[in-house]
Amino acid sequence: MPVTLSSKLTSGPGRIRIWSVLLVAVLALFGLRLFYLQIIRYGHYKQAALSDQLKQYQIPATRGIIEAEDGSSDVPIVLNQELYTLFADPLFIKKPNQVADQISQIIGGNPSTYASELSAKNTQYVVIANKLTQSQNQKITNLQDPGLDTQGQDYRVYPDGSLASQVLGFVNNNGVGEYGIEQALNPILAGKPGLLKAITDVNGVPLAASKDNTQIPPTPGKNIVLTLNLGMQQQLETILANEYKATKSQGLSAIVINPYNGHVKAMANYPTYNPADYTQVSNQSLFQNAAVDYPIEPGSIMKTLTTSAALNVGAITPNESFFDPAQWVIDGFTIHDIKQDGGAREQNIQSILALSLNTGATWMLMQMSQPGGTQITSKGIVTWHNYMVSHFLLGQPTGIEQGYEATGYVPPANLGDPSINLRYANTAFGQGVSITAIQLVAALSSVLNGGTYYQPTLVDKIISPNGQVSINKPKVLERNVVKPQVGQELIPLMEGVVKAYLNGGFSFMNFPSNYIVGGKTGTAQVASPSGGYYSNIFNGSYIGFVGGNKPQYAIIVYNIKPSVPGYAGSYGAQPVFADIVHMLINEGYIDPKS
Amino acid sequence: MFNGSRTSIRSRSRLNFSQPELNNGQRRHKPDHWILIYTLVLLVVGLVLIYSISPALADTTGTSANYFIFKQLLAVGLALVAFLITAKIPLSKWRKNYKWLMAAAILATLVAIALPVNPNYPAHRWVRFAGLSFESVEMLIFAILIWFAHFLALRIKNGSIKSFAKTVKPILAALLIIGGVVAIIQSDLGSTGVIIAMMGVMVFVAGMPMKRIAIVASLVVGLGVVAILAFPYRMARLETFLHPSANCQSTGYQACQALIAVGSGGATGLGLGSDVQAYGYLPEADNDSIFAIYAEKFGFIGSVILLAVFASLFWRIAKVAEGAPDDFSRLIVIGVLTWISTETLINIGAMIGLLPLKGITLPFISYGGTSVVFFAAAVGLVYQISRYTSHVSSRSIEHLSRRAGINDYSSHGRRIGGAYNSDLSGRS
Repeated sequence: MPVTLSSKLTSGPGRIRIWSVLLVAVLALFGLRLFYLQIIRYGHYKQAALSDQLKQYQIPATRGIIEAEDGSSDVPIVLNQELYTLFADPLFIKKPNQVADQISQIIGGNPSTYASELSAKNTQYVVIANKLTQSQNQKITNLQDPGLDTQGQDYRVYPDGSLASQVLGFVNNNGVGEYGIEQALNPILAGKPGLLKAITDVNGVPLAASKDNTQIPPTPGKNIVLTLNLGMQQQLETILANEYKATKSQGLSAIVINPYNGHVKAMANYPTYNPADYTQVSNQSLFQNAAVDYPIEPGSIMKTLTTSAALNVGAITPNESFFDPAQWVIDGFTIHDIKQDGGAREQNIQSILALSLNTGATWMLMQMSQPGGTQITSKGIVTWHNYMVSHFLLGQPTGIEQGYEATGYVPPANLGDPSINLRYANTAFGQGVSITAIQLVAALSSVLNGGTYYQPTLVDKIISPNGQVSINKPKVLERNVVKPQVGQELIPLMEGVVKAYLNGGFSFMNFPSNYIVGGKTGTAQVASPSGGYYSNIFNGSYIGFVGGNKPQYAIIVYNIKPSVPGYAGSYGAQPVFADIVHMLINEGYIDPKS
Repeated sequence: MFNGSRTSIRSRSRLNFSQPELNNGQRRHKPDHWILIYTLVLLVVGLVLIYSISPALADTTGTSANYFIFKQLLAVGLALVAFLITAKIPLSKWRKNYKWLMAAAILATLVAIALPVNPNYPAHRWVRFAGLSFESVEMLIFAILIWFAHFLALRIKNGSIKSFAKTVKPILAALLIIGGVVAIIQSDLGSTGVIIAMMGVMVFVAGMPMKRIAIVASLVVGLGVVAILAFPYRMARLETFLHPSANCQSTGYQACQALIAVGSGGATGLGLGSDVQAYGYLPEADNDSIFAIYAEKFGFIGSVILLAVFASLFWRIAKVAEGAPDDFSRLIVIGVLTWISTETLINIGAMIGLLPLKGITLPFISYGGTSVVFFAAAVGLVYQISRYTSHVSSRSIEHLSRRAGINDYSSHGRRIGGAYNSDLSGRS
């Protein structure tokens, strides 16, 4: 029997050797494979690893705050507050119900909702609550639960609520400014986020120092001091809110601007919203600052600029009179006055403005064509187009620091157009053009100040994080809009309009005699989307100024489709202007005549 | 530590086996310490790796930072105890009690199948008790090892190793049962493959004619193809293996991340504490994927050294098999060798993109108590047998056996010849 052992196993040791050699051979093959993967293809896999593992993070920069003048000092109207997001890693939550109760005691809310969130499967990141306060955050941190964590984030806070909201805009959840100043000056306010490049775990949490990690610290944003006067802004918003109701308006905008440097002192629209609650605003048009982004056909307030242009080219003189036929037939259409009082008779420049004669404005365009003539010619069209576009800078954004500023529209001087004469006659009294409130008030300002077009601005100062103050100097866009004397001639003409209305029974247009107040109404037809104009819907507009020895503020009011018992300009916009002027005088914003 | 005690020799001599050649009268010499040393090196590598990725594991599993290393230290402690037990308790006792071992393994398997699955234990593979879990298949492999060595040794002894009815048929039946239970009910194709490889190499070494082996092998391959085709997830794994980069974001995620871990290790590795892939990128970083983590940390040089340690361990075990004193112990050693080496090759092969992922641990290194304990137990058996090897190479046995009855045994069971050669005495 023992003999059989060796013969039965003769093949045994040989076969063992075969198997062991095979094993070592396979391991050697693995070695070759490792050489291929780790040496030859190292670059490829290193790159693949980094593209998975190396993540870039922005380190948010602190956003600059926004201030404005209030009395003698600048006070913040937009601030930052750090609020905290509470999130959980359910993997580390051992007792969800207990933790949920603790959370609920600190921040309120339903513990069972929290408990189900805390026991979520297949995730290591659940957001439990947003916008926790500093003290709530502290209490959560004190729980020392390994499954809970908070992350601070800056939110905008508005100590004055909805004040100037449409001028300010808001900051969205991604930290980007939208609308208003926040959008227009986002790069300045936002600063420059820092960059953290780090090797992270699969959830994006940076791992301890690695040579592949780099960090660039953020540059905080700059603070901005607005030109707005907060007291004036507050009063203006109150006026608009009241007049919105009184005139059954569908939208009210007003601007108070310093004609000598383009500083906007107050700018508001109604209705408005509270930027702290921007997420709850369903009607997005509330975000728009209509004063700069809602161009309309301004109507007769345009006649102040027509008059200025005609005066400047010497087509008319301030005291000139002419025979008004009460209607002109141009390109086959009849232009007549909205106010057809008196019919055909002798009129003058003052009465063109006071009675708002469309025939008068058309006549002024005829004078620009050929002094003494009664035809509109290409010379008049080209001249007036040049004034609208190149002197008054209408139909183009002013560059004011607001998001979504509108362009507006001035028809081109297309002399081949068979109805170009009619088209341009319309522009002389503010129809057939589309102009924002800020464009028009900036243009009138340039006439009032003697011929310099200052870019309208909302920014007074920019303050760097290191405290360095940079004054925003007035920016001149156009030097010779009109000759200085044209402003001197236009001022009494506009004062005459105010006096005419007072005499006509508009008692609210009665202002103290030691102030100068001038103005012009506008009642604009509203174009129908289906072509032509509505017969019973009008926009009201008013442009004017108030001052002592000279105009101190230019003011414009747009009242969209008010429902008033008379002309939209006289009854819808003029009372708003009167309220503003009374407010400015009563509150001591105006230096009286010396 | 393993200097023989007189009691163990006495107890062996009292055994009343029907095969008097077993161990009886074999001269005892020093065991092959290298087997123990290589095993300890691998265990230490495993502990170091698991300790170094503990923060990452804690991060992705929600446990405390030291949870894994404590459990693995406990496992290694148990493994050393298991090693002592299998190295000390004479092989003959293991053989005598193979039925009890088999019964225990089958019981464990049935319990694992009976226990309901849960998200942490998605397959019927674990026996869970009092917070501990135990992978029944490792015990089953250990039991099959002893039973099958006994089975084959018996067939060799009575000359029926080539018999279809007495040998091939029972093997086929066993393979069918094991395949049905492990591959289908427990859906553990990897372990099934390890068992089949182990039994296959044991049959091969036992001297079954190649023709018979080919018949069995073709049957096994056929069933294996069916086992893959019948289960969509296995087809998906195969598809993933064939086109890894096309499935990087879905089914091939683990395979791709493993290659990234290995490749980005480069020549020298990122260093012990500087690896990244364990932080949630590479699934099963402590377990099936641990070789990739090792390769990321220690690079090509470290990986080749680890392969060399495995190769040396295999080589030493093969040497023990070659010099094994009898058929049963030879088959035990070759079974252990195949068990450990197949798992090693399947595991590493998957990590370097040469084989599909199989859910097989890396012996001694992967986290997991059952695997470590049973591998240590298996090595303990080899260690015990290494005390009784004859140092004559297989070639010289054949050479000598042609001349004289060198393998003849004396009446009291001592082998005449090689074991008493002077060159052997230097070994003890």
